[in-house]
Parts: sequence; C-alpha cells; structure tokens
Amino acid sequence: MSHTAIIITVAYSIAVVIGSAISFAVFHSTTRPLDEDRAGTWSRRETTWLVVMVVVLFGLLMGTIFYVPYGDTAGPNGQVVRVTGVQYAWAIDVPQPLVVGRPVTFFARSRDVAHGFGVYNPKGTLIFQAQVVADHEQKIVHTFTEPGTYEVLCLEYCGAGHHTMKSKFEVKPA
Amino acid sequence: MMDERSLGIARRLTISYIVASTAILAASGLLGVILRWSQAVPQARVGDNFWYAMMTAHGLGAFVGWGAFAVMGLAWWVLAGVGFPVRGFGLAMARVTWWLMVLGVIGVIITTIFMGFAASWVFLYPLPFYGKGNWGDWATGLFSFSVLLAGLAIVTWCFAILHTVTNRDALDSVSSSIGKRLGLAFGWGFLMPRTFATKVRSVPYPVIPLAVIGLDMIIATLPLAGLLVWQILQSMGVVGSASDLLAKNILWWFGHPVVYLLLFPAVAVYYWLIPRYAGRNLVAGHVIAVAWTVAVIANVFVWAHHLYLDYPSGTSQAQINTAMQPITFALVLPSALSLYSLAFTIYRSKFRWTPASTALFFGLVGWLLAGLSGVVNATIALDVAIHNTLWIVGHFHHMAMLNIGLLIFGAVYALLPELSGKALYSEKLAWVHVWTTFVAGMAFFGLWLVQGLDGAPRRWSVLPSQYDSITRISLVFVFLLAAAQALFFWNVIQTLRGKSGVATFDERGIPIPAASTKEWSVHAAEGALVLVALLLAFAFAVGGFFVGRETGNGGGGATTTETGTSAAITGNAEAGAEVFASSGCGGCHTLAAADATGNVGPSLDASKPTEALVIDRVTNGKGQMSSFDPSLSDQQIADVAAYVAQSAGK
Repeated sequence: MSHTAIIITVAYSIAVVIGSAISFAVFHSTTRPLDEDRAGTWSRRETTWLVVMVVVLFGLLMGTIFYVPYGDTAGPNGQVVRVTGVQYAWAIDVPQPLVVGRPVTFFARSRDVAHGFGVYNPKGTLIFQAQVVADHEQKIVHTFTEPGTYEVLCLEYCGAGHHTMKSKFEVKPA
Repeated sequence: MMDERSLGIARRLTISYIVASTAILAASGLLGVILRWSQAVPQARVGDNFWYAMMTAHGLGAFVGWGAFAVMGLAWWVLAGVGFPVRGFGLAMARVTWWLMVLGVIGVIITTIFMGFAASWVFLYPLPFYGKGNWGDWATGLFSFSVLLAGLAIVTWCFAILHTVTNRDALDSVSSSIGKRLGLAFGWGFLMPRTFATKVRSVPYPVIPLAVIGLDMIIATLPLAGLLVWQILQSMGVVGSASDLLAKNILWWFGHPVVYLLLFPAVAVYYWLIPRYAGRNLVAGHVIAVAWTVAVIANVFVWAHHLYLDYPSGTSQAQINTAMQPITFALVLPSALSLYSLAFTIYRSKFRWTPASTALFFGLVGWLLAGLSGVVNATIALDVAIHNTLWIVGHFHHMAMLNIGLLIFGAVYALLPELSGKALYSEKLAWVHVWTTFVAGMAFFGLWLVQGLDGAPRRWSVLPSQYDSITRISLVFVFLLAAAQALFFWNVIQTLRGKSGVATFDERGIPIPAASTKEWSVHAAEGALVLVALLLAFAFAVGGFFVGRETGNGGGGATTTETGTSAAITGNAEAGAEVFASSGCGGCHTLAAADATGNVGPSLDASKPTEALVIDRVTNGKGQMSSFDPSLSDQQIADVAAYVAQSAGK
C-alpha cells in the first residue's frame, strides 16, 4: 500500500469503529425507552451538530487541499517521458535511462479513447495515476525513489482488452 | 385530505414501479453474480467483451432500473401518506415515466447482452465509437436511444413530482404563486415563515428531499440528453466527433446527481417510516431546511469530483476540480443532519423491531459507512490512491445495496401489506433475508474496499493474479447475498398471491405478522438455512480446490500449453489485417495498405520489416513499444506479421 492508502485505511477504520459503536448505542437504547419527550432539546442541538460538522469538514479541507497533484513542474534537472495510449497498449518513450531522485515529467496523450495511466512500483503498489484523453496533453510529474521495473496498468475502462493494457519501464539507481 | 380514489391511484402507481423494478433487480443481480464468479474461477471465465457487456447492463440495470426506479415509485406512496395526491398532469407524467423506464431498460439489455455493446454504464465518450468490431454503430445508436428513454423517464418523473409537491391545498399555502409554493416545498417556510406562509401546518419533512431532487434532476439530465442525441446522430453519420473532455464533464454533470436520485427519495422514505416505527415525530429542527437548501444548489456543482485526475495542460479543469472539493464537502451536510435526526428519532424510543424496521436501521448504517468512504473519494489528495480502483466499487455498493437496497427491502416489508391488502407471507424469511443481506453485503463489499486500497484496478474482467485469493473468498459472500435475495423474491410473490390472508395493522400502522403461516415460515426458514449451508459448503469446496491446486505438487489441471512453436504456426495475412486494425497498431505506425498514419513508431512502409522481425517486436516489444503477448494469441501474432510483411510499402 502507498502512504496515502495507509492513511485512508487507518482513518476509515477508526471512523467505522466509531460509527458502529454509535449505531449499536442507538440500537441498544430502544431497550430502555424514555417516557418524557425530549424532542425539543434534541432538535435545538441539531444546530450544534451542524456547526461541529462544518468545523470538521473545514479542517479536512484545509489539511488536504494543498496536496493536490496539479501544476507540478520538474525544474531544470528534470527528465522527460512521452506516453501514448492506444487500445490496448502503452507506448512509453524514454529517451535516456530514468534515474531515481530526479523529477520525471510524463507527457501523456491518447490516440483513441480515454485511458488511465496508473503506475505501480516494483513491489506492485499503486504510486500515482492520471487520466489520459485524446484531445489534450496530460502532464504528470513524479520523482522516483527506488530503482527497478515499474508497471503501468490502464485505470480507465477502454474496451474489451482493457485488462491487457499493461506496460513496463525501468528506473535505474542514481 | 386524501380520498379513496387518490389513495387508489397512488397505490397502483407504487405497486407498478415496485413490481417492475424488482424484476429488474432479479435480472441485474444475476448478472452481478456471474461477473464476480467469472473473475474468481478461471474455468467459469466468460468472453471478455461479454463480461464488459454484462457489466454495462448490470450497472445501468441495478442502479437506475432497480434502485432509482424503486424509490421513484415509493415516492408516490410517501406523498399520498403525507397528504399530497398525484393527479392531472402529474399523474399522466408518472404513468409515462413507467413506460419510458421499462422500455429504456429493455433496450439496454438488448443492446448489451445481444448486440455486444460494452462501453460501461458511463459510456465514456468516444468509447461507444471504438467498439473494435465487438459492437457497431448500430448498437451504439440503439443503446444511446435506450439510455435517452431512461433519462426522459427521470425528467417526466421530476415534472410529476414538482406538480405534486406544489399542490396548493396540500401545502396549505396562503399564496398561489408557483415560486412561493416551490419555496414551501423546499422547506423555506421554516426559515422565512412570513414570506412562505401557510394556513395550518408547515410542509411535512418527507416532501423536502423529493422537491429538491425533482428540480435538480431536470437540470442534471437535459445536457446528458443532448449528448445522447449527439451520439445517436454520430452513429448515423450525421455529425462528427464531439470534444472528449466536454462530453466527460456533461456525463458527470448528470452522473453525480443521479446518485442522489436514489438517495433523496430514500431519505423521504426514512423521514416517513422511521417515525412510524419509533412511535414519535421526526426529531428535526429548522436547520434541516438549511441543509436541503444547500443541497439543491450544491448538487449540480459537484460533478468535477469525478474528474479529479483529469488536469490536462491548457484547460481550466484543475481549477474546476479544486473548486469542487469544498462544494462536495458541503453536500455532506444534508446527510449528516438527516442521520442525526433519524438517529435521535430512534434513540430511546419505543421502537418496534420488525424485519422492515431492522432493514431500515441497517440502511442507515450502510448510509453512514458509504458516506464515510465518500468523504475519502471527495478529497483530491486521497482520491489519487483509490481512483478507479475496487475501493470505488466497494463504496457505491455500500451506498446502492446496503443503504438504498436495504431501504427498499424495508419499505417493501413495511408497505406491501397496506399496498396490496395482503399479509406478508413470512416474517421469518424476511428476518433471514434482512440479516443475511446486511452481513454478507458488508463482507463482500468490504473486501472490495480492501482490494482497492491494495491498488486493484476497477473494471478488469480478469484481475492481476495477486488479487485472486480475496476475489475467491468474496465469492462465498456473493452466493450468500444472492441466496438471500431469492428468499425476498419468494416472499414477495407469495405475499402478492395472498398466501397469508388479509393484512392487519397495529395502532401505528405497522403490519401484524400473519399467525396462520407460522408453521410454514419455520419450515421455509429451515429450508433456507439448508440451502445457504449447501451453498456455503459448495463455495468452500471451490475455495479448497484452488488452494489445493496452487499449493499441491505437480499442479494438477493447471498445465499450460507451451507446446506450439512459432514455426508450427503459419500466418494468415487476411486475418492479420483484422488484427492490425483491432489492436491499434495504426495508432503508432504508418501502413498505407491499412490506411494507418500513426507517427509514434517507425513507418512500416518505410522499414518493410520481415515476418520474423514483426513476430519478435509484437511478442517482446522494443523501446516504447510494449509487448502484445498478453493480449494476442500466437496465431494472431503470426497473422499480423504475415500481413505486415506482405503489405508494407505497397
């Protein structure tokens, strides 16, 4: 798993445990019903709940929005790879051997339908991906940290041979 | 209030939608079982294009033909229950909706299963026109027309809903202005009681989400209808290609709100039925009207969260995407407030636990879990790790099956007796069905989440082998889930046949279980358990077979056929021409004989490669050309080599 996937796993697991506990508490509470009517109090507290939710979501927004993959540049020390997707193959043009530690810019295009450029590291972990469409050039910047053979899978459904659309490229030690 | 005639109209409408959508569930559910079975068991593998065609039919069938159609039908009975009769223009539109939807679904089934259209339910443009011989423009045109019918069904339903919820008498509206009546239906009377004045009561809560989706789906569906008309015209050769990125935006402009076409009417049903089982009014403040007002606007400005990983140079897609993360977060609020209200309606109430109310409760749990995974998807920085992986498939099955699906089951158990006048056939079968659906569904869909976090790609008829073991384990739960649905169908059919006599109700309107069938239901439940146990044993046996085959020495049946050498295969140039066209060779290479003008790789006309060289390059790849060995057979490679060697330079 990638670091991001691990973060999701931990966060989602905690949320599910809390959610399940609350669900069970609500379920179990019906064994000791209240005689008095507290609906008024609970209705008023709904506004507090709204404020809590807005604060939590705002926190999540501020904590994540600066990590979008948009607009990255490789800088003067960059390496360039041109990628072309066709049904059902990737043409990956690596002019010079790629090395770890130096940013790589992938310029990706499709010759036909939409494809997804999904890159898996030598251990089989999905490390980054981006969509590739026919009438625009998609720029993806990534800096590899470990050498080895990287596999590219298609991550946008592109027809009957979608699952055969795999390719490989090498990254060498610095 | 409601007279008998209006009740009869709503009753017949709801039953007709429920019966049709339940039949569609049976068909599309079966397709779903075959899809996972084919992924898990190599011997049961179906043809690749057929797999994707079934996936297309399963997606549209289960999501629109079952989930949306069923809650669209339940809406009529909910509205009748809160005093809003369907009549006149609204009734005509509601009846037209049924026919459009049924015809649309039949068209989708014919064009996918029988004509091979397999571009998935999102038919991502321009894929419908790149069938590569698996389907033609005819199938694309007819499929687009069928989806257009289903889309029009949504629009006519929206008009029927808006007509019904703006009924002045039912709203007790002081003003006759259509704008004020619509505002009342959106719940604005809670926030601005003087502007949106009523004579007696404020709007019943279940009306609000229906009014919201009634307006939103018209806005969401019309551009998609335009795209579908374009596809129909393009399939007939009348117009040329459209812009890929624009088409993708239009698709998701519709594709996101359509999720709420399932959720919002479902919320109306929760708002209406949970208080009945809790024996108290819905715990809701005026603030819930704020959340629904957010929803009516935000709902149509979140589409780009499906395009988070499209940010091509020279477009403003990245900016649009970034703007839509906070708007998507805002859409969490109606769900968060609704769950709060419903949870406190149940909390410490004299809640009556029946299969129906248990299904509704599990539906709320499913909603919570799906909402939490949805927040992950809504976050751009996290989406990179799970976009188009099986995590997404797990997320929307939590949503569609464990929230909407369980709500539909709960509503059917709760309402079928009052809709049909007949007692539920078996309470016990219903218990088994509800619990099994929840437990097996949680396990099955949870495994998808796990595979997705591990990077397993979505929409692959054959998954990379490292994911096989979990796929095989999940098969056990697939069968349990399917077996449980068989109990549901049986229960509904026997109820409609009147096997348990006339329905009776308690003081809250909750159906009383039919006493006379107790013996029967015990036998039936035992029968179901035996069936489930047998299926389980079979599933474990299948699992055991694979574990044994992979760990045992000698490898049993898994002998690969590496006997044929290339010398033994003679290439056929005619067949090779087809391989050349269908494998996308022309995308990179120029070959005049094939009208191919690609310039990524060397021109074949210029280099005139020998047959042996072509076989080597296609099999092993070189430089930027990847190996086609996984996708082409040795015979196909020999064919294309013969074709290229004979036709290059001519």
